[in-house]
Amino acid sequence: MGNPTIPIPISYVSGKYLLFSIDAVTYLRREHHVCGVLIGTLPQIPQQNVFLGLPLELMPEEARLLVDKGVACIVDETKAHDGMKSLLEEDRRQYLRELESQGLNASRKLSDRKGQQREQVLKKLDEKAKAKAIKALENEGETDTPPTPSPSVLDEERSSSRSSNRTSGHTMAMGVTPTTSYPPLAQPTSSQHLPPPNVPLSYPLFAHLSSRGYFLSPGLRFGCQYVAYPGDPLRFHAHFLCVSAEWDEEIDLMTIVNGGRLGTGVKKGFLLADQKSPRLNLKLNEWKVCEHSVLSGQACEGACFCFRCHKTSRLPAVVARRLSLAAVKDTSGDALPCSI
Amino acid sequence: MEDKDEDAVRGTSVEPTQVETDLSDETQDFRLLSHLNLYARNAAHPLQANANTQSPPSSLTDTSSPGLPKRGEKDFEPNPTQHQADVLSKSREAMHDALAHPRLHNLNTRVIAYYAPDGPAPPPGIDIEDPARFGDKGVGANVHPDSCVYVPNPKGQYFKNMGQSDRWNRVWLLPEEALFLIERGSLDIRWPIEMTAAPEDEGPEELSIPMSLQAAYACFMGRSGLTMERYTVYTGLKRTGYALTRAPGWDDSAQVEGLKDQNQECASQRPLKRGAGLAGILEQLFSWAQDPFSTRSTAAGPVVGCGMHRNYNNIYRQLAVIPWYDPSLAIDRDPLDTTPPFRVVFHAYRPSTPIKKSAWPAPDFRIAVVNTRETAAIPTLAQLGALLESTPLDPPSGEKMKRLVYMRLRHGYRNVVMAVVDQGIVSYLRIADAAFGKEKLYETQAASMGNKRNGNFRGKKR
Repeated sequence: MGNPTIPIPISYVSGKYLLFSIDAVTYLRREHHVCGVLIGTLPQIPQQNVFLGLPLELMPEEARLLVDKGVACIVDETKAHDGMKSLLEEDRRQYLRELESQGLNASRKLSDRKGQQREQVLKKLDEKAKAKAIKALENEGETDTPPTPSPSVLDEERSSSRSSNRTSGHTMAMGVTPTTSYPPLAQPTSSQHLPPPNVPLSYPLFAHLSSRGYFLSPGLRFGCQYVAYPGDPLRFHAHFLCVSAEWDEEIDLMTIVNGGRLGTGVKKGFLLADQKSPRLNLKLNEWKVCEHSVLSGQACEGACFCFRCHKTSRLPAVVARRLSLAAVKDTSGDALPCSI
Repeated sequence: MEDKDEDAVRGTSVEPTQVETDLSDETQDFRLLSHLNLYARNAAHPLQANANTQSPPSSLTDTSSPGLPKRGEKDFEPNPTQHQADVLSKSREAMHDALAHPRLHNLNTRVIAYYAPDGPAPPPGIDIEDPARFGDKGVGANVHPDSCVYVPNPKGQYFKNMGQSDRWNRVWLLPEEALFLIERGSLDIRWPIEMTAAPEDEGPEELSIPMSLQAAYACFMGRSGLTMERYTVYTGLKRTGYALTRAPGWDDSAQVEGLKDQNQECASQRPLKRGAGLAGILEQLFSWAQDPFSTRSTAAGPVVGCGMHRNYNNIYRQLAVIPWYDPSLAIDRDPLDTTPPFRVVFHAYRPSTPIKKSAWPAPDFRIAVVNTRETAAIPTLAQLGALLESTPLDPPSGEKMKRLVYMRLRHGYRNVVMAVVDQGIVSYLRIADAAFGKEKLYETQAASMGNKRNGNFRGKKR
């Protein structure tokens, strides 16, 4: 796992931000908690959707965060590949030689592995035969047993398979499809980099949670904007379903109730966030709605909430008002109808 | 740091729930994969780190089983134990190894293709006198003009439902087909020789440069309407075995010719011809024929009216004053007379459907692809209605549907699959045109009504 050179080039292809370098993917995941979404097919198991491979698609938010941190830059990949036309003769030959050596290396490894497997199988066969022989010896006193295959037969088998191995062992280089185009292309200079990506209004929430160490991924699966994981999603379940709003935005009560119900269903908290004075500071107030109390309709206003604020814990008046209204509406008892 | 405290903390790990098991719904632990890996570091014991806490399911350690792994175990939240850090770094290592797996082509089975940036063209050196005679650019009428990769020597199973061959037996692939094949390591695409090699080169075959995956994305993505969302849906379904073709609505800018006239025509015809109006009139006629003495005027008299009421069904029929929509009467709409992205772009076929490339059968599924970042709003009824009307009538049929009301309603009369893509994550929604008005519950439950009447009757007898 080598470390990539900084800034890491993010490929801009058809409006999307993609990563093709495995080192970059591992590094960004480890150091910057940027996971992205794998969208490619794994060549070793291509007929399934559980494990996917490169490329990695980044949200515009993720790409922007990395560019703002100075870790990455955006490269117009389509334009960069026009460079294939002006490839030098020498470079091309060298590249092809390199690919051939890679292919040779791979085919050697593969045949080694095959050899090992064959060895293992033969060993097993050997052991089985031995066990049989011992058993036969034990039983010999009582009954006549057919003669066990003599070891010479096995040896013969083995030697023949070995020799066939040797003949196929003369390896030819396999064809290789490289993952990235660098080399043969030269890394684009900083003047060729694209401006930082445009991001939606929810970017402050994304940046804030990311700065607090959360791993974020797109939230459509859970009906929200981002899903926040306390650690690497490889090892941890998500804790929050995040939805961003504006400071003065009237929040529809159904959004809160729906979010709460969705969150409860998947054992996650529903997190609404907004941002005060966006241009000056990125201070965020977060609160978590206690979805149970809202839904059962027994509590009113402030009692419905437990606050998870980092500094102040002010609930926008709009939400408080609407919530008390909801509590009145909902005192009939049953859960509010909810449909998504 | 392996001590008692750590064991206590470790006890909080969340047990995997077996209720919902769509594995692709969550990030899975790549360690489960390492037995498949050519360059794996510890292929023998993929879940070694876990071995002392819990014996992992036998299928995970069994390196010979090629099946898919079961759902892995995850922790609730990070804690500062060395154990957790170890497991995480092992997982990441496994992920790194899995993703770093190279795409190799065995010399005997490899299929070489060439990129043709300018679209389908006859082989170099062959001049066609009259290109128009053989379809677009003279390669044959059945080659899709958006194709951009050709395979001179097509072999293997993949061309059974992908690509179209031209007059020289070369198979032309569409960008998504080529990209899918290179990505799964089944195709070795080369840069066009004239694009990378100097003209004085002698052995062009040896010097054609293999295209990288990155180059393939850069060249094919965005070509002729192929967006990342569509490609994500395409590969997602291909990986699970479906066959896919482009639907007529692929091109977003395509519109029906003479759309204006048709629209005007439709506007005047629609209120009469389809939906509630016609059904309502029919209903009225029908009920009048059945019961000519009833008073239908709700303004002047009672809804049900006076007269002889022999059974409940007649009463219910007269109570049905709210007009309803009958999807089976809706007119078929041109697939292009819809608003993108609410338009069918893919036809999908189950793996069991026999496929002939020259004549594709009627699709099993029609798929529209929506990008959440571009289309944030839920489609309007008009958009959804148009989308549904552009699919053919598919009324519920079969023995099971006949029996079960809910199945009928769920199946609907027209249906379409909407793939909603959020940054590479796809949700599939099946949208169907249900006809609640057609399911007359009072008719199906007449038997129980009859019992009641019998009961009353008996009472009188007594």
